[in-house]
Amino acid sequence: MAHLSNQSHHAETPDHEDRIEIGSLTPHFQAHGFPWKQVLGYVASLLLTALAFVLVMNHVLPPTALIAVILVLAVLQAMLQLGVFMHLRESRGSAWQVIVLGLGFFMAAGLIIASVWIMMFKAGVS
Amino acid sequence: MSHIIAELFPPSTLRLFELIADVLIVLTTVSIVGVLTYTKKWVWLWREWLTSVDHKRIGIMYLIAALVMLFRGGVDALLLRTQLAFPNNHFLGPEHYDEIFTTHGTIMIFFMAMPFLFALFNVAVPLMIGARDVAFPRLNAVSFWLFAFGALLLNISFVIGGSPNAGWTAYPPLTELRFNPSVGENYYFLSLLIAGIGTTITGINFMVTILRMRAPGMTLMKMPMFVWTVLVTGALIIFAFPPLTVSLALTLFDRLFGSSFFTLGHGGMPMMFVNLFWLFGHPEVYIVVLPAFGIFSEVVPVFSDKKLYGYPIMVASVLAITVLSYGVWVHHFFTMGAGPGVNAFFGVSTMLIAIPTGVKIFNWVLTMWGGRIRFTVAMLWQLAFIPAFLIAGATGVLLATVPVDYQMHNSYFLIAHFHFALIGGTVFGVLSGMYYWWPKMFGYMLNERQGKVAFWLFFIGFLVTFVPQYMLGLEGMTRRMYTYPPGLGWSSLNLVSTIGAFTQGAGFLVIVYNVLWSMRYGERDLTGDPWNGRTLEWSIPSPAPEYNFAIVPVVHDRDAWWDMKQSGKSEAFKVKSSAIRPVHMPKRSAMPFLLGLSFFVVGFGMTFSWWVIAIIGGLGVLASLLYGAFDYDDFEELDPEVIRRTEAGLGRLQA
Repeated sequence: MAHLSNQSHHAETPDHEDRIEIGSLTPHFQAHGFPWKQVLGYVASLLLTALAFVLVMNHVLPPTALIAVILVLAVLQAMLQLGVFMHLRESRGSAWQVIVLGLGFFMAAGLIIASVWIMMFKAGVS
Repeated sequence: MSHIIAELFPPSTLRLFELIADVLIVLTTVSIVGVLTYTKKWVWLWREWLTSVDHKRIGIMYLIAALVMLFRGGVDALLLRTQLAFPNNHFLGPEHYDEIFTTHGTIMIFFMAMPFLFALFNVAVPLMIGARDVAFPRLNAVSFWLFAFGALLLNISFVIGGSPNAGWTAYPPLTELRFNPSVGENYYFLSLLIAGIGTTITGINFMVTILRMRAPGMTLMKMPMFVWTVLVTGALIIFAFPPLTVSLALTLFDRLFGSSFFTLGHGGMPMMFVNLFWLFGHPEVYIVVLPAFGIFSEVVPVFSDKKLYGYPIMVASVLAITVLSYGVWVHHFFTMGAGPGVNAFFGVSTMLIAIPTGVKIFNWVLTMWGGRIRFTVAMLWQLAFIPAFLIAGATGVLLATVPVDYQMHNSYFLIAHFHFALIGGTVFGVLSGMYYWWPKMFGYMLNERQGKVAFWLFFIGFLVTFVPQYMLGLEGMTRRMYTYPPGLGWSSLNLVSTIGAFTQGAGFLVIVYNVLWSMRYGERDLTGDPWNGRTLEWSIPSPAPEYNFAIVPVVHDRDAWWDMKQSGKSEAFKVKSSAIRPVHMPKRSAMPFLLGLSFFVVGFGMTFSWWVIAIIGGLGVLASLLYGAFDYDDFEELDPEVIRRTEAGLGRLQA
């Protein structure tokens, strides 16, 4: 509660310097009460991971299908976490996020594709 | 009971050095506890340091930890060099030698170089950008305590349970359970996993701090160069640490839970570990060297009395290095034989990195060109860095030539190359930064004369150690061999190298003496600007007050403080009493320390597969995180009267 009063106090003082400093230091979500969204997102992430683990542990599907399914589960979880924890839809503009996400995707894809290429061992000798 | 004791203290922990270490640890612990109890400082320690979230204090704690780790890693190095001083020497046995080179490498990279840099990040970055703390002060403390307890976990392996022994790279199958059943490797994986969480958080924290909390007017292209390098280091950490985490965690699964990710049998792929490790490992080289570049880019202009030459090109070359550093990792394992296509690609990309690095070296030299150079200790380290790093880079390009690399791979040529890069780049850089920012951290100067003695001892010792190792590599000596027969032409070079190592050790001791002497007799820095500095951290008193800036400065130029001094506005920078308003400050918290402690318990329990202990630690982790997540009362207002009194006491209050 102390925090809420702090925030309203600063909303009243339209000073440039203070807004920069405090706006970036203080998380905003507590203004909405108990963070149900985050808790549910966390539980859902755990469930998705557990599901992937169970599928692999018990060899539920043939290998190729298994890999496809856990990849789908991984993408689902990544999207979930971006939405719930990374404030993907809370920002004013999405231009920056598109750039950064694109860069992240580019890096990750590059590293994975290169790793596959490297581990194919197309050695001319040996 | 005897079973547990046998597990905790296997024969490898009952050798001479381990017993000496036991005695030293007990004596140090007893004396620290004794002094704290005698002087009644426990509460002070807890309130002012262990629960502090102040970036300046966290920086100092990082610095102390890094210096202690430099000592530990340095002693390891001296043991190794003593063993290698003479042919057929049996000072250390082969297993003992393996353990010591493993901990030497691991400690120097993860628990010396990185925390030393994080110390300087913490001390300098918020002050350079005119901020009052980092973006997430409590997470910053979490980072520190995860690092500290991770380091503790690795260090106790020497005396409890046995050290890791598979090299700092921990390649399988050397780490595979059936070939390496002792708990040493578990220590390695768990301590790096724990410290790695902290490092990742630091990367995010400083990126957000730099992107969001700069003083008004400080556009990206007006940031000090060190801040730029910290920003890209954050980006490097964010992308480089996940592959490390994955490779460490999966190997741990192999060892503890019987999975087969990297095992020789059951379809495991040991070389995939190598691939993932270096996917992290090469960016890691730039994680530890780019901030050192940044430090030099601050030190050179100040002590040449000129602005940094070619700032935009410096920024561009840092960005180019960042991107390129992700495309070179295979050069660490060309000899795996991935094929001519792969090796040629990564050989060329490696050579490309020499271009932006060369650009930076030219820019530092051109900054000095025509300047009024002051040969301070900070500047001497920079001047030594240029030739050292040039040699490191040139030999690096040699190693990037794939056919040459097949000859040189894992020889002492390689050892000399990366020690030139990591000592000549990172260690010289952090020592330069330490001497440069010391007055801002502690309010007094380190004695220059003693610092110069330390510098010359260390620099000459460095050359005497590693230049012969280049030759040893060309003569065919390979890394990680614990002894060698006479008559191979290696004996005298090895002896010279060992003499050099001890000279570096002497240099380190002089630095320690320098610090202790200066604590008592060092010149106090009353101006806050002892070097005639150019960036904002020199505009405030030394040491910086708790709130950093009484009034957040407005930036107009790249060298903001220099600009204020030149345009005669530095007097106007003195604070008007009426302008001081309450400052929003983060509250101290016990959560980061307790979280780190809980992780330590988890790590210790998992190392020995004592699950009850691990689960108890895990509950501690959960409790700390829950408490941290729901503790909204984490900021407090600092009374403007306190700021007024502090500033008036420093003579900085305008009438």
